[in-house]
Amino acid sequence: MTGLDSLAATPGLTWADTGQATLAGPLLELAERLDRRFVTLARRWRAVELRFPPCIAAADLERIDYFRSFPHLATFPVCLDPDDDNLARFAAGDPVTAGGRVALSDLAPVEAVLTPAACYHLYAHFKGASFEAPAYFTTRATCFRRETHYRPLERQWSFTMREIVFLGTAAETQGFLDEATYDVDALAAELGLPLAWAPASDPFFRPSRNPQYLMQQVHPTKHELLFDDRLAIASTNLHHDHFGRAFDLSRTDGSIGEPHPVHSACVAFGIERWLAAIVHQVGFDPVRWPEVGS
Amino acid sequence: MTGRSEAEVRLALRDWVRTHATVEVPETFDDHTSLIPTRYLTSLQIADLLLYVEELRGKSLDVASLRPGVFRDIDTVYATFLADGE
Repeated sequence: MTGLDSLAATPGLTWADTGQATLAGPLLELAERLDRRFVTLARRWRAVELRFPPCIAAADLERIDYFRSFPHLATFPVCLDPDDDNLARFAAGDPVTAGGRVALSDLAPVEAVLTPAACYHLYAHFKGASFEAPAYFTTRATCFRRETHYRPLERQWSFTMREIVFLGTAAETQGFLDEATYDVDALAAELGLPLAWAPASDPFFRPSRNPQYLMQQVHPTKHELLFDDRLAIASTNLHHDHFGRAFDLSRTDGSIGEPHPVHSACVAFGIERWLAAIVHQVGFDPVRWPEVGS
Repeated sequence: MTGRSEAEVRLALRDWVRTHATVEVPETFDDHTSLIPTRYLTSLQIADLLLYVEELRGKSLDVASLRPGVFRDIDTVYATFLADGE
C-alpha cells in the first residue's frame, strides 16, 4: 500500500472540483482494459451487451420510488423553455455569472434524470416483457450522483459503471450471484488487491424512515467488495422481484407454472474506483500497473 | 408485552403474516417458514411488521440496531423481540 492521501497527481488524471475526472494516456488505457476484463466475465453467461443513452425517463425511476429514496443523489438535465421571448431574455443577459453559475430564464418541464445507475435502463427497456429462460445482460454507463464532497477517482459526481445483470427465477438469482462473486474474487486475486466482501446498504435519504433501507438491514441483499476496508469497488445486489414487479417483467418458463414476476440480480463495477485501488496499491508509476488482460 | 401468552403472540404474528402477505401463504406455513426469500413479506410489509411488533411489545424498536436475520421467520421474530425479558 502506498499511503497516498490524494490521487489527484495520478498520471493521466485531470481533476475538476466539480467532482469530475478526465482520463488520458496509460490511466485511460488501464480503465479500458479493466472494462474489457469485466466484459470477459460477462461472456461467461453469454451476456447480451446494451448501450443506453445518458438520460433515463423520470417516470421510469418513479416506478421504483427513486426520488423518495435518493433525492439527494439525483442530477437533472434542464432545458430552457423554448418560448422565443424566454430564449431572447436568456441570451440578452449575462448567461454565465462571474462565479460560473448559469443565469437561467424559464425552464422547460424536466422529464428525465441523468443516469444514476447503469442497470435501471435495462428494466425500463424491457418494460412489460416476458422471459422464457434466464437472461443475462451487460451494460456500461456514465453515472451521475450528487454528493456532498468529492475525491479523485474515489467519489465523483460522474463516474463509469459496468454492470452484469441477471433476470430469472428466485432460485436462479442466487446461483448467478454465487458465480459472479467467485469470478470477481478470482480477478481480485489476479490483480493482487487486498479486497474483502462486506454487507452494505444503499445511501437512502432519511434511511430510518425508508422501508427498503429497513429491508437491507434485516435481510442483506447488497454486498460490497471493499479495498482497504473502506472503498467499495464492486457490489453484488439481489433485488428479489423489486424490478420485476415495478416494470412488469415476467417469467413464463413452463417449469415454474403460472407467469411470475422476474427476479433480478446484478454485479456492478465502479471503474474509476478500481483505478483508485490499483494506484493506492502500487503507486503512480504506470509501469507498475497490472496488465489486466490485453 | 401486552399480557398475552407466548402461544397467543405467535398466533397473532402468524395471522398478521397471512393477512399482509403479498402472495398466498400455504397451509404448511408455520413459525419456521422463511418470510422474506419466499416474498410473503417485502420491504413495505417488513416496515409494517416492525410497527406491529412494537405494538405487541408495547415499546419502540431502534431501527439502527436491527441485525440481519431478525425477521427470518416467526420463531426468530418472537425470540428476538417478544420473548420474556425482551
